[in-house]
Parts: sequence; structure tokens; C-alpha cells
Amino acid sequence: MKHARLWVGFISLSLLFSAACTSKPKEELPNTLRLAQRGKVKGLDPIYADDTYAGEEVSRAYEGLLQFHYLKRPYVLIPALAEAMPEVSKDRLTFTFKIKKGVLFHDDASFKDTGGKGRELTAEDFVYSFKRLADPKLISTGWWLLDGKIAGLNEWRQDAQKKGVADYAAPVSGLKASDRYTLEIKLLSRAPSFLYSLAMPFTSVVAREAVESYGKDFLNHAVGTGPFRLMEFSSNSRLIWAKNPTYRQETYPSEGEQGDKEAGLLADAGQPLPRADRIEVQVYVEDQPMWLTFLSGKLDLSAIPKDNFQQAITPGKELSRDLSEQGVRLVKSPMLDVTHYTFNMSDPVVGKNKYLRQAMSLVYDSGPLIELFYNGRALAAQGPIPPGLSGHDPKFRNPYRQFNIGKAKELMVKAGYPGGQGLPPLTYITTAGSTERQMTEYAVRVFDTIGVKLQIEAFSWPEFQQAVRNRKGQIWSFAWNADYPDAENFLQLFYSKNASPGPNDSNYSNPEYDRLYEKSLGLPDGAERTAVYRQMVNLLVEDCPWIFGVHRIAFGLVQPWVKNYKRSDFHGASKYYRVEREK
Amino acid sequence: MTANVGRSLWADAWLRLWRDRLAMASLCVIVLYSVVALLALAGWIAPWKEVVGGSYQPPSGDSLATFFGTDLFGRSVFYKTIHGTRIAMSVGLVSSLISVPIGVVLGAVAGYFGKWVDDVVVWLYTTLSSIPNIMLLIAIAFVLGKGIFSIYIALGVTAWVSLARVIRGEFIKHKEREYVVAAEGLGAGHFSRIVKHILPNVFHFVIIHLSIQFMAAIKAEVILSFLGLGVQGQPSWGVMIDDAKLELARGVWWQLAGATFGMFFVVLAFNVLGDALRDALDPKVK
Repeated sequence: MKHARLWVGFISLSLLFSAACTSKPKEELPNTLRLAQRGKVKGLDPIYADDTYAGEEVSRAYEGLLQFHYLKRPYVLIPALAEAMPEVSKDRLTFTFKIKKGVLFHDDASFKDTGGKGRELTAEDFVYSFKRLADPKLISTGWWLLDGKIAGLNEWRQDAQKKGVADYAAPVSGLKASDRYTLEIKLLSRAPSFLYSLAMPFTSVVAREAVESYGKDFLNHAVGTGPFRLMEFSSNSRLIWAKNPTYRQETYPSEGEQGDKEAGLLADAGQPLPRADRIEVQVYVEDQPMWLTFLSGKLDLSAIPKDNFQQAITPGKELSRDLSEQGVRLVKSPMLDVTHYTFNMSDPVVGKNKYLRQAMSLVYDSGPLIELFYNGRALAAQGPIPPGLSGHDPKFRNPYRQFNIGKAKELMVKAGYPGGQGLPPLTYITTAGSTERQMTEYAVRVFDTIGVKLQIEAFSWPEFQQAVRNRKGQIWSFAWNADYPDAENFLQLFYSKNASPGPNDSNYSNPEYDRLYEKSLGLPDGAERTAVYRQMVNLLVEDCPWIFGVHRIAFGLVQPWVKNYKRSDFHGASKYYRVEREK
Repeated sequence: MTANVGRSLWADAWLRLWRDRLAMASLCVIVLYSVVALLALAGWIAPWKEVVGGSYQPPSGDSLATFFGTDLFGRSVFYKTIHGTRIAMSVGLVSSLISVPIGVVLGAVAGYFGKWVDDVVVWLYTTLSSIPNIMLLIAIAFVLGKGIFSIYIALGVTAWVSLARVIRGEFIKHKEREYVVAAEGLGAGHFSRIVKHILPNVFHFVIIHLSIQFMAAIKAEVILSFLGLGVQGQPSWGVMIDDAKLELARGVWWQLAGATFGMFFVVLAFNVLGDALRDALDPKVK
């Protein structure tokens, strides 16, 4: 899942009180979570939830068949809307899901037959939702997830492309609701990681009535089966969610990993979800307002901005006395992510010149980067796969990521631009924001040492994503957070069929890589697959479609009144949090 | 006996300006800034890209480079301030070079020809000025893409309104004066009457406007750069203040101080000079 590169910690934070100037302060619900987002939320339609901000918000209102266990590590898939884990056929191609009975959609005016009451979820809703992901007219940013995986779905898509309009009544052989509560999914080939995709926001279930009645405006509504109902969504930057009164019977998990019980994470075991009554989300594009709001106690979770690190954390990397006396907790955990510079491989200048890319990779020194921008809270990345996933090789050193200016200059000569001569300034696109700007200055400085000049264009987060999808710009910075705990999620970023508007934003295309990727899809986790992964990483290292940045370590702060908080790399954890204020 | 030799408006104005010590001091400040800007443009002073010390080193008197301390990357804040001077002065100059001709031409034709020409021009500038200035600048910066070039254009195409208003008013007044009527009688065409006869008599307004516009442009650049819409990839006072927004949290105040120091004197000087010019050039306040 994409996100702005500087987002250093938790997804969440709170809300600014607007009541300060009004005559009567608003009565605050005691069990209200106040969370922050670090980028604008472009919309709430699951099929466009390709960034971490939209993904997190979508997961409050929508659910899929499966989800990750909140407490267990390594991550374990458990049923969400499915009654149980699917029955798998002998050839491991057909998955049969039983859908939970009695699950209701949120009450919404679009359910005309029931007078605005949410109707019951059926298997047919999943068939519809998956087809939406494939509908060529909608240009979903999540199609890559199912592309070439489900029998008949690609044909259905092609048919829609030909006719100019998708026929939702037309059957798809691999996607069948055999009765009201049974969903059968047939894959084209074995794909061990397929089940993970059913836990992602993209594959959440939507109600056809709502999609059709809201039309284009569906993006601003949320009618799912999830734990929270949308009360307010304004200017892409403020959202208010309330507990869904008709939420299905789901309870807080009663087992976790070692240490969870001692940490108080099992105190709510067996209690109904969601634990919070209300969530108020505010978008903070800039660091300081978020930080000050957290310090004043009006935000429940926060990352630590780089400029406030000294204030919050002691040289021994522990929480400062001020904060720990207030009861604030520090949660440190490595993230399943990688930051990177992307070269636009479809660009005639940078895309066709391997030596230029390698030279730039060689001078992009991660040492100062980690100190200046991450306060040491990151590891230099040698390849796309973060530590913690099989396929990551801790001993591997990427030859083009060891700072070497002499070698870089030689490569610039090979590239045909000795000392940068003859190379027009590269269009560098970025998101607007003070820290992003400083990061851009860092890039300008390091690339200048080999004579590569940058022409900078800054955008807001949604505009920036749009520009990347339209293949504008020659280089940009990004970060990828795991959607599921498998290296495949990182390696698919270079598969040529996933090129923009898919997640392969570099538009990298290498037939050999594609062949290996397709081969790896059918392999179970093990030595053979790891060997294939290594070959793939080697191709990437040599071709250099990215400059690998860092794998970050999240330093999150949690207010004392937030209960049940455990950091998760995936979306949908807010239904477990609870707020308990001492009176 | 008083010398009754006629002095031209310009000579008279210069004499009065010369006597105004504060105005002359301001003029010196502006000349100094201009020289610094030119030297920085030529690359003879202030190598701001160089690393002169550690990250966020506080100000020290050891050398000129560390006089204002260093920034995140260990670059000299003093040199950045000087480079900021270059940006500020160039924004002031270029945007004035764009806005002044637009303002003079539109104001002149509107005032001179009247009728529908006037209607069109007045409609144009009332529409333009009805949009809040900063919003308009932001909108233009978005359309043109961010960067110093679009700041030039954005300020240039929005700042001509007040000048056009004044020039239009003066032209309406002047076009019926005897000397213009006489010129017409002698066979002078429209162009000749506008450029040769009326314009020299209203040109002092352009000078006054220029000094005010220059200062407004410097301030606007700082605001736009602070908002992230301005200069990209190089320092300017606005960018330095934007940095300070983050850095103040860790007690780093010197970038803010540097930018403020740089901006304070030149803006003040232009303000004082603008006032003095008005006094000196406008015969009515004699």
C-alpha cells in the first residue's frame, strides 16, 4: 500500500477541537478515539483504496471475507465475514466460503426495499464487489490483485471492454454464489498468497444498492458491514465515525502471543466489538500541528516527527521523563515497508539509461538520510523485501547502494553524460509539505554531486498519485507498506502487467523478471521460492528501477487512556481500541 | 532674489529626495541589496550549497559562513540569507517588469480612448481585483506549476491593477488639457499623444508604484514559498521560514532570524523610499 514517504509512524491520531471559540463546549463522548491521518483521504470506495490513508478509513466501514488476527504474530489469517476458513479443493484451485448469516449492511437511504434499513449480506454481494474491481470503466487501482487469478474474470473484463459497458449479470466461471451463503472461487493456477488478498480493503464487500444510488458520489459514502458508520466526511480531511449498532456478533480475541496478557491486551477478551463508540479522524499534512495536539492530550496516538525526536526520546532511545510521567507509552516496532525513489521506466531519458540510474543510486547516501530524517529509526534497504519476510537476506549488500561517488562518476560517463553534461534537468515530482521539501533538498544536493539536476514539482497527495498514475515525471519518492505478510507483495511492484495505473509505478518491464514472478506465484513458502525471489531481486538490483531507501522502525506514542493498542502492519485495528478516561 | 530658473519635475524631485536623509539611507540600503543580489547571481559570493559545519550548528563568530549558524544539512544560514536576497530582488524586479507595462498600457488606453475600451479594461481589473489576492496567486501557481518562474508570472499578472487604475485616472484628466488639445491641433496622432505627450507627465506614478510593487512582491514570494508554492530546490526567505516552522521545536531559531533580518531592512527601505518618492514626485503635496 502506497504512502507518503515521510510518514514515520502510526496511521492514527486525533482531532482538533473546533469548540474552543463557541459559547458552549461540546459534550465529549467518553469512549471517543481521536486519530490522525498523515495524508488526505481521497475517498471511501474500497476499489480505490490503494494508499494507506484511504485503506485505513475504508476498513472502518467495510469488511472482506478474511482478516488478520489482531494479536498473534507472525500474522495469522482468520475469518471475517466468512463463517470459517474456506474449504479448499484437492487441486488447491477452488475455495468454498460459507458466509456468516445475519450480517447486515449499515442502515442507509439507498436500501429502498427495506425502507432504509440495512439488508442482509449474501454471497452474491461478493460476486458483485469482485466484479467491480474488474470493471474496466471504473479503473480500479486494485485490479492487479485479481488480474489473471480468478477463472473467467479476465474474460468478463475483456467483454466489458469490448462492449463499452460491464454486464454484471453475466456469469464468471470462477466466481459463483452457489446458494445464498456460499461463495465459490476458482483460481486459474495455484496461488498460495491468494487468501491474503481477501483480507485487503480492495476486496471488501459493497452493497449494489448504494453503489447504484450514489453513482459517482459513492466515493464520499460508506455503506458496508463494518464496525463503524460514517457520520461526517469533509474536504477529504476530517471524518467522524460512530459505532455501528447493527454490527455482527464479533468479539475481542481471547488469545494472543506471549506477553500480550501481561501487557493487558487480553483484558477485553470476549467483549463485543467495536470497543470504541466513536472515532474522530483529522488529517494533518504538517508535523507540528499534529504533535502539539498530541501533547495537549487531544490526540490519542501519534508518530514522533523528526524535529521533536529529541524532545520525546532520550539518547538511550527511551521515552523522555516528561512524557512517561504523563503515562504516555512508547511502542517501537519495525515496519514491513520500504521507502524508495522510483524511476519512471517508460520515460525515454531515465528509463532507457541503466548507467544513469545506477550512478544516481550510488550517490544516494542513506547514512545521513537516516540520521537527518529518521533520527536513526531506519535500516538502509538493500532491496525491496523488508526484514521479517522470507526472501529478505540480511547479509546481502546491494552493489549500487554503497555510497561511492567515484564509481558513480564513471557510470555517468558510460551513461553518456560525463559530469552531467548534456542531461536535461530531471522532472522530480513530490508531495507538498515542509519535511517533504527538506527531503527534496537532500535529493537535489546528492544528485548534484554527479551533475544531475532536478526540476521540482510539488503536489498534494491525491494529485501526486494522479501524476504518478499518468506517468508524469521522471523520478519521485514513495514508500510501500506490506498489504500482507509475504514478499510477493513487494515483488509484484515490478511485474510488468501491474504497471501504472497498477502498483508498478516505475512501469518496470523485464520479461525475465515476469517469468520468474509467475513461477514464484505457484510455489509454496520454502527454499525453492526464496531462491527464485533472490534471482528476482538480483535483476532489480542490476536494472535499478528504484533507488532503495530504508526500512523504517515505527516509534509510536500512545496516550494512557487508550486501551488494547497493539501495532499492526495492516488495516482495521481501530475496532479493538478502547478509550477509558479516569474521572 | 530667488532663482527663478525652471527646474524640471524630475530635478526638483531629486533635490527633495536628496534632502530627505531617511530616504537616501533607504536608497543606499536598496542599492546595497541590489549589489549583493547581483554578486550572488554571478556566483561570486555566498556558495550556499557548500557544507560548512555540522547539522544545526548554532551561530558563532568563527567565520562569516557560520555567523548565522547552519541548517539541517550543515549549510551556512548566512549564505542562504544572501541567496534569498537574490531571489527576493529578482522576484521584485521581474514581476515589476511584467506588471508595469501591462498596467501602463491598459491604464493608458482605457483612460485615453474611453467608451468600450474603458469598459473592457475596467471590467477586467475589477474582476481580477475582486478575487482575494493570495487565492489568485495560489491558483496561478497551481496552474503554472510551482517554482520561481510561476511566481514571476503570478505576481506580474496580478499586480498591475492599482497602477492601471491610477494611470487611467490621470489619462482621463490629461487628455482634455490644453497641451494635448494643442498637440492634436498640430496633427499629432493617438499614439504620439499617448506616448510623447501624456505619458511623460504621469510617469512619476510609475516610479512610485514600482517601489511599492517591489516590496509587495518580496513579501508575496516569502508567503508563497512558506506555503510550499514558491521557490523549489533552492533557498529563499520563505523557504527558510518554512524550515523554521519545524526546527523551532528543537530550539533552532537562527534560520528564522536570518530570513527575518534579510527581509526586514529591504522591506522597510522600500516602504520609506516609496513614501519619500510620493512626497517628492507628486506636485500636489508640495
